[in-house]
Amino acid sequence: MRRLFLALGLCILPLAAIAQTEAQLSVARVVDQHILPGYAALERETGALAALAQEDCRALSPDLRVAYGTAFDAWIRVSHLAFGPAEEENRLFSLSFWPDQRGMTPRSLLRLIEEEDPVIDSAEGFATVSIAARGFYALEFLLYDAQVMTAGSDAYRCALVQAVTADIHRTAAQINAAWLGDFADLMRSAGQNERFRSDAEALRALLGALGHGLEYTADLRLGRPLGTFDAPRPLRAEARRSGRSLRHVQLALQSLAEMAALITPARDGIGARIMPQFNAAIQRAQALDDPVFAGVSEPQGRLRIEDLQRRVRGADAAVQAVLAPALGVAAGFNAMDGD
Amino acid sequence: MFRSLLASTALVAAFSSVADAQSAQDVLDTYADIAEAKYEDSLIAARRLQAAVDELIANPSAEALQAARAAWIAARVPYQQSEVYRFGNAIVDDWEGRVNAWPLDEGLIDYVGTSYGGPSDENQLAALNVIANPQFTLSGQEVDASQITPELLQDQLHEADGIEANVATGYHAIEFLLWGQDNNGHDAGAGERPWTDYAQGEDCTNDNCDRRGAYLSAATSLLVSDLDWMAAQWAEDGAARVALMADETAGLSAILTGMGSLSYGEQAGERMRLGLMLNDPEEEHDCFSDNTHNSHYYDGLGVQSAYLGSYTRIDGTSVSGASLSDLVSAAEPALDAEMRLRLYETMHALGQIKTAAEAGFAYDQMLERGNAGGEALIMAGVNGLIAQTQSIERVVVALGLDGIAFEGSDSLDDPSAVFQ
Repeated sequence: MRRLFLALGLCILPLAAIAQTEAQLSVARVVDQHILPGYAALERETGALAALAQEDCRALSPDLRVAYGTAFDAWIRVSHLAFGPAEEENRLFSLSFWPDQRGMTPRSLLRLIEEEDPVIDSAEGFATVSIAARGFYALEFLLYDAQVMTAGSDAYRCALVQAVTADIHRTAAQINAAWLGDFADLMRSAGQNERFRSDAEALRALLGALGHGLEYTADLRLGRPLGTFDAPRPLRAEARRSGRSLRHVQLALQSLAEMAALITPARDGIGARIMPQFNAAIQRAQALDDPVFAGVSEPQGRLRIEDLQRRVRGADAAVQAVLAPALGVAAGFNAMDGD
Repeated sequence: MFRSLLASTALVAAFSSVADAQSAQDVLDTYADIAEAKYEDSLIAARRLQAAVDELIANPSAEALQAARAAWIAARVPYQQSEVYRFGNAIVDDWEGRVNAWPLDEGLIDYVGTSYGGPSDENQLAALNVIANPQFTLSGQEVDASQITPELLQDQLHEADGIEANVATGYHAIEFLLWGQDNNGHDAGAGERPWTDYAQGEDCTNDNCDRRGAYLSAATSLLVSDLDWMAAQWAEDGAARVALMADETAGLSAILTGMGSLSYGEQAGERMRLGLMLNDPEEEHDCFSDNTHNSHYYDGLGVQSAYLGSYTRIDGTSVSGASLSDLVSAAEPALDAEMRLRLYETMHALGQIKTAAEAGFAYDQMLERGNAGGEALIMAGVNGLIAQTQSIERVVVALGLDGIAFEGSDSLDDPSAVFQ
């Protein structure tokens, strides 16, 4: 069915291209300058990571840790795009299982290692493994967690690092291929296919992703370690074992700001009302000298992190109050709805 | 975490005649009447559970435990159908954690198996075991738990230390006390708590049977009083009904927000897909009783009921009236047909999970690694819920529901932040 509509859409495309609407231009800018380059980088960097792991799978390998960092960076830059190819086949979940509220990642990894489970020997087998033992957050435990990185035999752990990195790369390649295959065209030809019945539906999906990324950053990346004043939770900071908690906030905000700038139409000073909110958040994130948010436990440090969180929410509020009405779209439901 | 639902001004203009004052009011009346009926039914069923629990404690026996379990399963039927009211109505959302909090670190309440582990990074109280410990320290303070009372559970233990997994009250705490941990892994079967955990004198197993009975009794009476309170909020002049009626546009948005948030973020994401992808039997929503298939099914039925404006009560009578479906049908008949079809498709998929589970293919087994049949069943439900969310978004646009800042929206709680 989708193919049929797509074909139809492509026939009409040349006509539509003559006079693209403002909404179509916004969607095309985001797809071409933000989403596609982001996923191309993810496929490339995860490919380099998987290839390197085949050569050198030791947890303490400096090269492997650098490649892990570069690939994780590429993921964080696209992690807010939680719709379409990333949502299909549960790909996003298998790349990033976090937060892990019940310690499933170390438990699942340790069980595989203790049992020397042969399920990791094939790609098909590994794809059936719990998401708690797959993706970037599991890889972090394999490379940086004192208990996991020394458990069991070196040979099995090595094979597990290779299986996890190959699985990450395969998933990244699938997402990229699906965007290049038809999803980018479905978005560009919104209004002429069944997936996106109007320009507004495509814009709504993009705005939803933007809002999702901002909420995720404020509520989870910052909110989880903040906890409450009486009970701060520094151990809940994202990817703290590899010292990446603040870095993820910085990367996410930069990427979300890029997306916001691309989606904003150049009229009525809309950009001038949106972008300062993003810049204020980015500025505070860059100025913060607290890589794993250890400061949540003492008053001064806590104040700075709360201020950053407030700025991120300010950017989200600007998106909802200024950008969405300017684009004339209802923001949709996102994965952060619920509890 | 609700977003504002903003519609294009053009569409508002186009359909403003549809959601005219009278019919929108009627739709809200139906929605509130159904809420009142669902919470009343939940209360009636919880009172039956309370009677069964009283009998179990007074005259413990295998039959009495079985009767209490059956009453719990029955009590879930109306309650799960009410969950669609949660995300759209602040008064329900603020209260919900008292009755239906999940997942829980059950070691807070009673004994657990050795594989459960002890205190964790996330929760120092994960293995507190209140039933075995009349005295303990909580956030640096000495607590006297020699008498297990509703006040102790509600005011001191529930969400102790600010941790949501410290669930001391509600359906799932009671479920744990009736079934115990499910130690069957991915095999069929629920928890197997022996009735002698409530026996008197020498027959008592796993110690502290009197305290266990006191806990069960306190938790059940809290459930009854909490449901009683919520049913009253939806009665004539109740706070929830008044809040809903205060603004017709906001009221209609509340209905759709509840439908969309439960369908997408909560049920499709958190409850169904995540559990499947973790292959973890403890990620079942009703994990002690193995009742998850019903929990999912009745959640879905509640979403459908909110759109169709119709509910069948536990005594078989029907509550129905003007519905969102009527409004959408007048504005865009094709969209109404699409919305109804998507809801039916989801119910069909959730029905197949329920059917398979009742025929012996337990939800635990569906979650097992590499179980292709189980994955297909659960993903059909997930995909149905995702698809219906797209239609719900279209309905929001078609009805021109614009510019509402919902209670509980983090991003909009502080509007001044926008223009700082």
